Amino acid sequence: MNRAIGRVPTAAAVSASVLVWVVLLGPLAVLLTQVSPHQLRTTLDQPGALTPLWTSLEASAIALACMVVLGTPLAYLLARHKLPAPRLVEAGIVIPLLMPPLVIGLLLIFLIGQAGPVGRVVSGLDPNVFGVNTFFALVVAEFYEAAPYYILSAAAALSTVDARLEQDAQLLGHRQLTAFRKITLPLAAPGLASGLAIAWARAMGAFGAVLIVAYNPAGLPIKIDTSFIENGLSGALPFALLLIVAALPVPLIGLLWSARARGGRPELAVATLAEPAS
Amino acid sequence: MPAEPTPALLDADVTVARRSFDVKAVVSLAAGERLALFGTSGAGKTTLVEAIAGTTPITSGEVRLDRKIVNAPVSSWRARGRGQGRARGRPHARDVPPEAGPRHPLAVPFRFRGVAAVRQPTTLFPHLSIVENVGYGLRHPSAYGDGSVEDLLDDVGLGGLGQALPQALSGGQRQRAALARALARPFKALLLDEPFSAVDVTSRSALRQLAIDAARERGAVSVLVTHDLAEAQAFGDRIGVMDTGRILQIGDAGDIARAPANRRVAELFGYTAFAEHDEGNLRAFHPDRFVVGTHPERGIVLDGVVTAVRALGTRFACEVQGSDTSGLVLRGLFQVNVDCPPAVGSHWEVTALQPPLVARVAVAGDEEG
Repeated sequence: MNRAIGRVPTAAAVSASVLVWVVLLGPLAVLLTQVSPHQLRTTLDQPGALTPLWTSLEASAIALACMVVLGTPLAYLLARHKLPAPRLVEAGIVIPLLMPPLVIGLLLIFLIGQAGPVGRVVSGLDPNVFGVNTFFALVVAEFYEAAPYYILSAAAALSTVDARLEQDAQLLGHRQLTAFRKITLPLAAPGLASGLAIAWARAMGAFGAVLIVAYNPAGLPIKIDTSFIENGLSGALPFALLLIVAALPVPLIGLLWSARARGGRPELAVATLAEPAS
Repeated sequence: MPAEPTPALLDADVTVARRSFDVKAVVSLAAGERLALFGTSGAGKTTLVEAIAGTTPITSGEVRLDRKIVNAPVSSWRARGRGQGRARGRPHARDVPPEAGPRHPLAVPFRFRGVAAVRQPTTLFPHLSIVENVGYGLRHPSAYGDGSVEDLLDDVGLGGLGQALPQALSGGQRQRAALARALARPFKALLLDEPFSAVDVTSRSALRQLAIDAARERGAVSVLVTHDLAEAQAFGDRIGVMDTGRILQIGDAGDIARAPANRRVAELFGYTAFAEHDEGNLRAFHPDRFVVGTHPERGIVLDGVVTAVRALGTRFACEVQGSDTSGLVLRGLFQVNVDCPPAVGSHWEVTALQPPLVARVAVAGDEEG
């Protein structure tokens, strides 16, 4: 009898899951049916059609490298409570995450455009390299949109590693940095990987802030936007497919590996985002 | 001619603020000396030993190992930590007390301290095999001293388990591995925090001897934290009895057992009954220090009624209620004839063998001196 009662909620849960899955993945399936190989070939065969792809890949890779180099130490200090006013620091990291990307873009003009004192200094170095509508601006905009995802999940991942393990590694003769590399990093790697995966997807897809400060050189999201306006859905869809193909494999592999490393519990792979370092 | 006092290898005078009470203790050990910190759970033993290792920040005082500073107060905002996991780095130059003078040396980094520690709960690196854990920090990870890591694993009873990951091992096996890792490298101080609590009783003495021999070979000081009196007595040259953050008495195990300084120490050493003596002192009675019968030349003769009897192996644990006005209740383990257990309600005369006088109120040992 118990088994019969148990079946009802199980069936409901399974149907709900299937429904959500279909709703979430439905548009993707439609995209695949709407873009014919012929259409894809003609669009992408046009001269310079792949330039936005390379621009997006390069900018995202650089933004991601900056996140790792600058964000990991910050995440570590947050995780180990070594920063004064940690709540304030955390709030500062969350704000770009909560702000509408368009607003971030407008505010970034002060940082790299002529509008603010910082921007005047930065773009004053060489407006063609550091000003608005440069490759540099694209990297900065992507960094702003994606970095909080990485830093928060990295802090959560690093805080799960017992600080005593690092102390022990040092008592056993290693420098702090070596202890971090040999003990903390491998133990936090799954969490760091899932953070990186999500940050990569965010950076590749960054649009709002990019639209304001880095319309040129056009990355893939901007290219999709202009194609849509100029040629309608049929012109934009091939680029959309291209963006998905370029942006998705890295995070998917990252998330799957991360889930595997945690012992096959995939829900934990993204759960780190929901638990900011405390 | 009086012997030169041996210079201390470890000098610790620390205060660590905790939520419920401060841990405040002075420990001084000469090379080769072994101290067992004994007390109930939550007495502050682990905090003290972590302070000695320099892995927990102290609020005042200093720890020196072989004249090098291992721990000193961190005066910045970091010291106002929220307990576990909070800033535990070495003190920065600006945090060393100014009265020490401008040439005061900095606390040495962890890796130069010569501290070997088995911590509680054990801190094996979960992603490394047992061999990699034990060989961690060795110049040649597979060899230590004249032997190999595998030999060391054999010594602690983990032969053949070298390739296993820590989570595949039982609690006792993990403690063995942690001990092996601590002993693999040279050290000046061996700090063992409940290192054998999960190890089966039959192997404990062998592991204990291994630790004692390793410390002796290196001329190192060693500190063992335990809540098991027999363990403390087997390990330590001296025992420090800890309660609520203070070392109440420190000295030879036999001396403390015969003459505990105060009521709390007596209780921790198994004294179960206390009789009024004078304003400041109580007479303490230990169940093992009784004989049945009247022997006034060997101690104090007590007259009482047997109120409870319980078999305990081949002997009997009896409860004897004193018949005088003090109402003293003695719970003793009396060696009596198996065929004839004492009957409840029968009158008994027992002699307490030289019951010591103990102070009514506990005074911390370090404050006395």
